[in-house]
Amino acid sequence: MSSANNNPPWQPPAHLRHLDDGFNFFSQSTSGAPSSRARTPNTLPEITIGGAESGNIILDGEPAVEEDPRAAEFDELFRKSEAKIASLFSRHDDAPMVEEGEASNEADIGLEHGRAAEGSTRDAAPPPKKAARAINEDDYDDYDEDEEEEAPAPLSRVSTAKDSSTVTTTATASPTKPGLPATGTTSPAIKLPSSREQEKSSDEVRKKLEEDKKAAEAAAKASFNTLIYTLENDRDAMLDQQKLDESERQVDAEMSGPGGSANNANNTSAGGSQPGSLSSANLGASSLTLKHLIARIDAKRDQVRASDAELRSLMSEVRKNRSKWASEDKVGQEELYEAAEKVLSELKAMTEHSTAFLSRVNKREAPDYYNVIKHPMDLGTMTKKLKGLQYKSKKEFVDDLNLIWSNCLKYNANPEHFLRKHALYMRKETEKLVPLIPDIVIRDRAEVEAEERRLQNAEADLEGGEESDDEPIMSSRGRKAPGMKSKKGTTVSRTAPTSVPEGTPGAEAKPPPGLPHSNSGTNLKNEFLRADSDAPMEGSQTEFSTPPPGSITPAGANGASNSGAQSDAMDIDGIGPLNGLESGLGGARDDTEYDSLEFKTWKQVTKKDRARVAAERHRLFQGDHLNPDEPALLRTKAGMRRWLRKRREAVNLGAAGDVKVGIEDKEVEPEPQGSATLAEGMEGEEEPALPDYYDVLAGIPELPERLRWLEDSEGQIIDPSEEYMRVVPKGQFTSPHSTFAEKMEANMRQMQETRKVCAKIGIVKQMQLQSQMYQNQFQKYDPDPFVEQDIPPHVVSDDGPVMAPWVCRAALQRSVGKLFYHAGFEEFQPSALDAVTDIAGDFFARLVHTLGVYREVPKVPEKATVGPAEQSRPGWKNRFSTEEIILHAMHEHGINIEALESYVKDDVDRLSSKLANMHERMKAHLAELLRPALGDAGPDGSSAFNDGSEQFVGGDFAEEIDEDFFGFRELGLDREFGLASLSVPLHLLQNRMHNAYTAQNTSVTSTAASAFPPPAPFDHVTVENIKEEIGLVQEFFLSKLRANDDQPLVEDEDLPQKQRFPKPRLPPTGKISSPRKRPLQQTGAGNLKKKKKLEINNVSFSKDDDSASGVNGTSKTGSTTTPTKSGGAGASAGSTSKPKLNLPGPPLLERMDSSKGSDADKDDATTGSGVGMMSPESITA
Amino acid sequence: MADKSAKYRTEIQQMMFVSGETADIPPETTGTVEEIVRQQVIEMLSQCTSQAARRGVRSISTEDLIFLIRHDKAKVSRLRTFLSWKDVRKNVKDSDDKGGADADFVAGDDPIGAGVVGGPGPGGDAGKKNKKAKVGLPWEVPSLYSEQVPEREDEEDEEEEEMNYATLQRLKNADERTKNMTKEEYVHWSDCRQASFTFRKGKRFKEWAGFGIVTDSKPNDDIVDILGFLTFEIVQTLTEEALRVKDAEDQFKRESGGENQSRKRKRESGLFDPPEEVRAPVQPRHIQEAFRRLQHRENKGKAMRMYGRSLHRTPLKMI
Repeated sequence: MSSANNNPPWQPPAHLRHLDDGFNFFSQSTSGAPSSRARTPNTLPEITIGGAESGNIILDGEPAVEEDPRAAEFDELFRKSEAKIASLFSRHDDAPMVEEGEASNEADIGLEHGRAAEGSTRDAAPPPKKAARAINEDDYDDYDEDEEEEAPAPLSRVSTAKDSSTVTTTATASPTKPGLPATGTTSPAIKLPSSREQEKSSDEVRKKLEEDKKAAEAAAKASFNTLIYTLENDRDAMLDQQKLDESERQVDAEMSGPGGSANNANNTSAGGSQPGSLSSANLGASSLTLKHLIARIDAKRDQVRASDAELRSLMSEVRKNRSKWASEDKVGQEELYEAAEKVLSELKAMTEHSTAFLSRVNKREAPDYYNVIKHPMDLGTMTKKLKGLQYKSKKEFVDDLNLIWSNCLKYNANPEHFLRKHALYMRKETEKLVPLIPDIVIRDRAEVEAEERRLQNAEADLEGGEESDDEPIMSSRGRKAPGMKSKKGTTVSRTAPTSVPEGTPGAEAKPPPGLPHSNSGTNLKNEFLRADSDAPMEGSQTEFSTPPPGSITPAGANGASNSGAQSDAMDIDGIGPLNGLESGLGGARDDTEYDSLEFKTWKQVTKKDRARVAAERHRLFQGDHLNPDEPALLRTKAGMRRWLRKRREAVNLGAAGDVKVGIEDKEVEPEPQGSATLAEGMEGEEEPALPDYYDVLAGIPELPERLRWLEDSEGQIIDPSEEYMRVVPKGQFTSPHSTFAEKMEANMRQMQETRKVCAKIGIVKQMQLQSQMYQNQFQKYDPDPFVEQDIPPHVVSDDGPVMAPWVCRAALQRSVGKLFYHAGFEEFQPSALDAVTDIAGDFFARLVHTLGVYREVPKVPEKATVGPAEQSRPGWKNRFSTEEIILHAMHEHGINIEALESYVKDDVDRLSSKLANMHERMKAHLAELLRPALGDAGPDGSSAFNDGSEQFVGGDFAEEIDEDFFGFRELGLDREFGLASLSVPLHLLQNRMHNAYTAQNTSVTSTAASAFPPPAPFDHVTVENIKEEIGLVQEFFLSKLRANDDQPLVEDEDLPQKQRFPKPRLPPTGKISSPRKRPLQQTGAGNLKKKKKLEINNVSFSKDDDSASGVNGTSKTGSTTTPTKSGGAGASAGSTSKPKLNLPGPPLLERMDSSKGSDADKDDATTGSGVGMMSPESITA
Repeated sequence: MADKSAKYRTEIQQMMFVSGETADIPPETTGTVEEIVRQQVIEMLSQCTSQAARRGVRSISTEDLIFLIRHDKAKVSRLRTFLSWKDVRKNVKDSDDKGGADADFVAGDDPIGAGVVGGPGPGGDAGKKNKKAKVGLPWEVPSLYSEQVPEREDEEDEEEEEMNYATLQRLKNADERTKNMTKEEYVHWSDCRQASFTFRKGKRFKEWAGFGIVTDSKPNDDIVDILGFLTFEIVQTLTEEALRVKDAEDQFKRESGGENQSRKRKRESGLFDPPEEVRAPVQPRHIQEAFRRLQHRENKGKAMRMYGRSLHRTPLKMI
């Protein structure tokens, strides 16, 4: 328990308070935890020396300044103390150099603080200032020295040194006078030396503290890289923090309600999430604005015309911020309260331990509490008191603090009680922090002024005006103020400047050289304090350090101050071990709390930041849901930059360990860096004490190798795509080849074929029923074979399966469609398809799920086989083999092998045989329908006529009546052409059917004719080309043309079916005696053509074809079958029979030269203008 | 139950007798059977009706009924045979000019008897073949095509073979049962085979089965006949199953409970022992057990019930 250590720092000089506190303390300790207590007594004495001093020193320094004016006293004191001082300082002659650096830093810091505190100078306060101001001025002294080039500095230094020494003597004297704290008039001279040391030691203590903290922080930060901290404690941190905030807010509310004092105006801000951050935030903004200006002025001080006083007042004008504690009437209040508030907030911020002390003890929770504890106290009440300005001195404040802990220890007498731990911890912390509070006793201004005046008078003799000038400036800007300031920060500096210009420069110049150091020390501490809450700002600021004040001061003059510093160092040495002990103790205790030291420090150091981060995150959620109204967390440039930097650092640390990362860095970093650094400075990023991985937003993901922008040596872009792109293999979305699939496809083809036959049957039947029909009446059924389309070539970038649900679904749909077709559905509704697809998809999903379940069954130990090769190592094997898995899954889903087998057997194999059967039947039926036309009807076909069925439509009766009706047999045609019977083919009898056939078979003929391209159609007979005809017909055509309004004549074949001339009928006799006479006007064209053709025939054989076809060019292509074809049996059957019908007259001739003859005849037949056409009706009739 | 059970008691008794139950059947048993049968019939009718409604037709047709039992190939096949013969008979009636032999044959070929007897003998078949038109079912191959083609004579369906096999089995069973019968007994037995729910009592059946309530329309004659056939089948299946149950029960009793007795008896049993015709008749509980067994779900539809939480209600299973 470091309580012992900590006590001294804040404990006032022995003559002032000591007794009470000490007593309290000890009494507590005895009553409290024995083990830890035991040590305290030992340490206490030693520490008290240093610690108590530190408290005093600060106080002393201030009063000293104030007392300057009182010359008489001063002289006395000076003399008394001189000897001691000399001895002290002489020892430390070498010190200054060392401390210069520090000093400069401090000066800088002071500067910034000063800026932060801007408002302070505003008020044009009366000339004589209180001690507080004087101290500020001291600070400024340092600063001025820095600012003013080397030359003036030394001088001022010297003077200041002197002053300070003198001042201090006086100042230190003052404390000796007991009972005066409130008025703080004269400073007891006697105390000087000791106070010096004390000052130093207090500085050291602070430094020490600071260093400790810094070390802890550094350690924690270092551990970021080695340990991964999880977020689990963040919530607690956040809650603690919130509780703290809450309590503060409460206090604020209570305070602002009744009081409403000016001081409270600012309070609300103090309730912010981070207690310490307010001041620093203000600082950051304002100091940034003024920093450069001040630096500039400093640099060109000699060129600036304005006097320092003017500058100072200007500065004060510019500065707006003023501490809420500042008060015109109370001297020292600002400093004291600033510091006190900080300590308080710091204590409160230790949420882990402070939670219990934040508010009053509830009577309900502890009914007898107020019996045991007569003077309850808690941090909340203290805050209230603080804000109510109820503290008059440091002592009161510290007493209250200690009262809290002692109360707790007293009430919870059980050594095991958990609160004791907290209380002890808090007390330890308190002891650490208390030295930071300047030992100020608040006095009324009037009093102080009087004192100052006295001092001034005394000093005026000793010091030059310039110093006084310089100092004020410093004080106005620098925030560095002396020890007191460290706590009070900004406010102190504000009040100071005004006082200086008023003509008490000398007084302010006095601060002893030692003070700056102490200031610096405290400043550092200050910073540290803030660093905890808002480290980044401060940290960055400290770096812009101005030259150390120490460096400027001449060695001789500084002798004293240096020595002072040295003495501090010594003191510190003394204290150091103690501190170490403390920390050691603390550590031990921490360990007992199950947390490793590292983790502990981590928790402490990062607590606020973690709380903040967690709170930020937390804000996004409402209950368990995302809160849509909350603004999103955005990544910031600064954050990303920091992230990059950290990574770079890490990489540098890790050397070339990770080559890849290194390369990346080289590639990626260089460019941004230049710009980044600039921006970095500008933005003044905050550096939270958190590892990178806490700031997820700032993380910059690594670019995958292949997405990187690579250039080869010639600046060409390298496209790495080839290396990782791959084409999806074919066949992923088509059904795989298998016997089963083939069978099914065969079935489907079979069905298509059968359907074709079906369609033909349908046509035939329809034709038998219908008397009239049209070319396009029957759609030819010609289905395309099923082909499964694969997906087009598709490129993917990795190895997995292609995840394309819609494609998969489409593929499944196709399969389902195939099954539908296979089941006999020629077409189906899309909704049906969808429904079945969904069900199938569902089914397969379940099946696969089951498969997965079986596959993932835990492995079972393999039986150790006794084989010699195996070392009987118990292996693990899958519980089920693949086969078992499949069988199990199938069983689970009610499928078994037999079912599948029977499906294949019944629904596929048997179906295929049935289908084939069906096909045969269909074909047979069709053949029967068309029997006469097909040669294979055979004798069986003829027998069909026997039973008088309705099939009897052909000319087969000829055989029955044994009459060679057409004289085929006579001609030997049946043998020649292999006619099965002498019946007339049905499709010839039924002209319409023939048409339908030819229509269906156009493709065949057209391919055949393609060898001989069909001649161009003949020109229509027009008025123009009639002249070229032979004279005989000209008359006729002319008359026709005239009848037709000189329009071109239309060929008969071009007429629509219905407009054609009625077909000639056989006379009832059945004999075709002679070519029928037809009315001229009807048949004219045809006849003429024929004549023409015949003529030409005679002329040249070869030409005949052309002309024949030429004349009939307009007829269907089907009819223009080339002569070569006529040799075929089927064709010949048709063609031969036709001539027979058409041209009974010279049959032989025509038939012999079948080529030409058939052509000509066909023309006639098809045009319908031929001689005679036999219709089935006529025959049957 | 009293009234209703009375309705078909004799028929059921006869049917059960045909199916192998020899003893005197208590009315409770027949009542149970009748209820079951009725339930089945009603279920079938309602299913048919909904099926027809799905097609957009109000009246049910034979196809709807056959569709329900489409998976039982043997039954379907027998039904088709029956229907075609019925058709033949109708034709014959229409055209009186046919030979008397034919008419006789057809007359003897009672609709249900056709099933039970196992169809006409092969001899009679040949003569009729050309007249007998096969009853086409809409889910069979020929209906895939738009044109209906006359069948070819020489084709023998595999299904028919299957049916023939089933028929032979049945005949064999019947033969077993009748092997030891005397002439009188056999006459009685064959009389019993004529028992039917529907034959010549169509009206009663319609009332009994709740036609007009379950389904809208006036049923087709064919439907009633089919139902008659199916009810016979139901009773037969049920009885056979119940007998199996009873046998198992007896077996169990003999092995456990009545051990002593049986041993004694065994010892005593000799050449001149009276035949053990004191067989206990089938009790309702046997019927119920048989019904339960027949209602046992197959695994088939299981897949879609997996991974679901809902309770599945399963429809009554057709026997």
